Amino acid sequence: MAILSYRDAVGRALQDSMREEPRLIIIGQNLAGHALKQLAETYGKERVRDTSISESAMVGMAVGAAMKGWKAVVMIAYADIASVCHMAIVQSAAKLHYLTNGRLDCPVIIRLPIARFRGHGPEGNEVGASWFYNVPDLNIVMPGSANEAYWNFREALQRPTPTLFFEDRSIHTRSGDVAENSCGGKAQVTRFGEKLTIIAAGRAAALAEDVADEMAKEGSRAVEVVSLGCIKPLDKETIFASAAKTRRVLIVQDEPPLSGYAPYICCLLDELPAKQLKMAPRIIAGADQYLPFWDERPFLPSLEEVAAMVVAMMR
Amino acid sequence: MTSMQSAQDFDHQNGLEWRLYTGMLTTRLFEDALIRWEHEGKISAQTFPSKGQEAIAIGCCLALERGDAVIPSFRTRGAMVAMGITIVEQLREFVHSPLAAGGSRDAPHHASWPERGVMPGSTMIGGHLAMAAGLALAMQLEQKGEVSLAFFGDGTLGSGDLHETMHIAGMSRLPLILVCENNGWEMATPWQKVRKTQSLIPYAEPFGFATRSIDGNDALEVYNAARWARATASNGQPVFLDCMTFRAGLYSSHFGEVRGNVEKDLATWEQRDPLKRMAEWLMGHGLASAEELQRLTRQEEEGIEAAFNTVRSEG
Repeated sequence: MAILSYRDAVGRALQDSMREEPRLIIIGQNLAGHALKQLAETYGKERVRDTSISESAMVGMAVGAAMKGWKAVVMIAYADIASVCHMAIVQSAAKLHYLTNGRLDCPVIIRLPIARFRGHGPEGNEVGASWFYNVPDLNIVMPGSANEAYWNFREALQRPTPTLFFEDRSIHTRSGDVAENSCGGKAQVTRFGEKLTIIAAGRAAALAEDVADEMAKEGSRAVEVVSLGCIKPLDKETIFASAAKTRRVLIVQDEPPLSGYAPYICCLLDELPAKQLKMAPRIIAGADQYLPFWDERPFLPSLEEVAAMVVAMMR
Repeated sequence: MTSMQSAQDFDHQNGLEWRLYTGMLTTRLFEDALIRWEHEGKISAQTFPSKGQEAIAIGCCLALERGDAVIPSFRTRGAMVAMGITIVEQLREFVHSPLAAGGSRDAPHHASWPERGVMPGSTMIGGHLAMAAGLALAMQLEQKGEVSLAFFGDGTLGSGDLHETMHIAGMSRLPLILVCENNGWEMATPWQKVRKTQSLIPYAEPFGFATRSIDGNDALEVYNAARWARATASNGQPVFLDCMTFRAGLYSSHFGEVRGNVEKDLATWEQRDPLKRMAEWLMGHGLASAEELQRLTRQEEEGIEAAFNTVRSEG
């Protein structure tokens, strides 16, 4: 379709969705007069709704609008604030389809930008996707590329259940081709290799790609990267196919390791036949601690750590 | 009238006052039966009886029009009755009948019939108010003059979602009607221990709501106030109806009476029982005799038992 930055891909997805979905509204702060001025001028302030800073009610209202057949994008300022509207996400949004026996859909996106490396401190630099990993019917998107950002956004509005959209601002400027065909809900093999698969999402997937590219520069075609894009539900088929091919799996997760896609994928890989993998899957995850204002990086997966683990696993 | 006459004889009594009376009567007898069946081990769902408060649900919902939506509280069984959901349809949810529209997934006091305007409530106190505002937002966008109405108890004053919802609805001029079933008790805590005034209007007015405090035990007054509320909300000003009432029944069928020194209040409010008052009104205006009303009660009781047998035979 076009080469776009990750940031612009999200913007394009929002624009295209507003154009193609006449019953789509956007709810948030500072939208009509600033962040989404153009969209508000094109589609009206009725569909680009500014509200008070009331995240719980914003999500609840999106669910109510969905009861009347509308779709909604709720713009949360950054991911940590998902804790403020946890009730509305879990009790109101995620359960609507189930509670009504499928008579009502909830095609709502809750946009949660990850605000790492911007000096927000421990109440503004978390991801929080793993907080929600055990919530049935709640889709969780964590794009690692412009393509994944665009298509997972578009696809989320076609689902009968809501989606948390974890957009990683730390990779906003990474550019990539947005394909003609949707990859929504599907993992992508973004680097092809022979000996080891790195499975990751968001910034962690970008890290994995950088490791693979560094190694390629040195002539190695060892590392394959599976970028999840959508971390819940998981695209098991792509994960298993790559694991069966390379027989070594490293999972990188940009959050603490106690829950989330990393430990879950580890469990899933146990379903493979005995000795299918040459070694047990390994995980690199964030430290089980909060991230200090002064420097978050020592406690998060890094390029060096991932590269070193790849070398160690292939030794 | 003689005992040989059938229920159809009452069909000519389809005036407003009759509908108010029969709606309240059905609600009272149905809830009595639900509690009895639970104690007999025939059903397992607890009931949050609206005894003494029935006029609020019936009066408000009879004032609604086609396309309007209502979200009941956990103590607004009468809303389902007044919105035309039959006893058979409601009972199917209790017993997991194969014909239960909601599949018996949601708790029976939150059961919904979306296509008929009865939307699912929330067990999270106040959570459903934001959803009601979202319905109102969709209605505002659709410009058909429809309104959204939600019931809640006065204990909801402690919920942040009430304030967030009023904040947004007031500024956005949503066609929303908030109906407080103000019975003065938060489970076993009297209002004096948890807030400054029994009325919630001082909290609603500054947010931009049109407000009215009414006798919630006078079905006609409730109906007239709700008609005013509907016209006001439909014209772009949200409404807060503070319906003063008293819970004559238990908090729930799972508890005994836990309110201290409540006997005197129970006796006082017994004189203001909405069903009794409506019966007196009907008889005082020559629209019914005591015998007719007794016969109607018997017919309703028989109809409710028959509905239970019907529903049980479906499984």
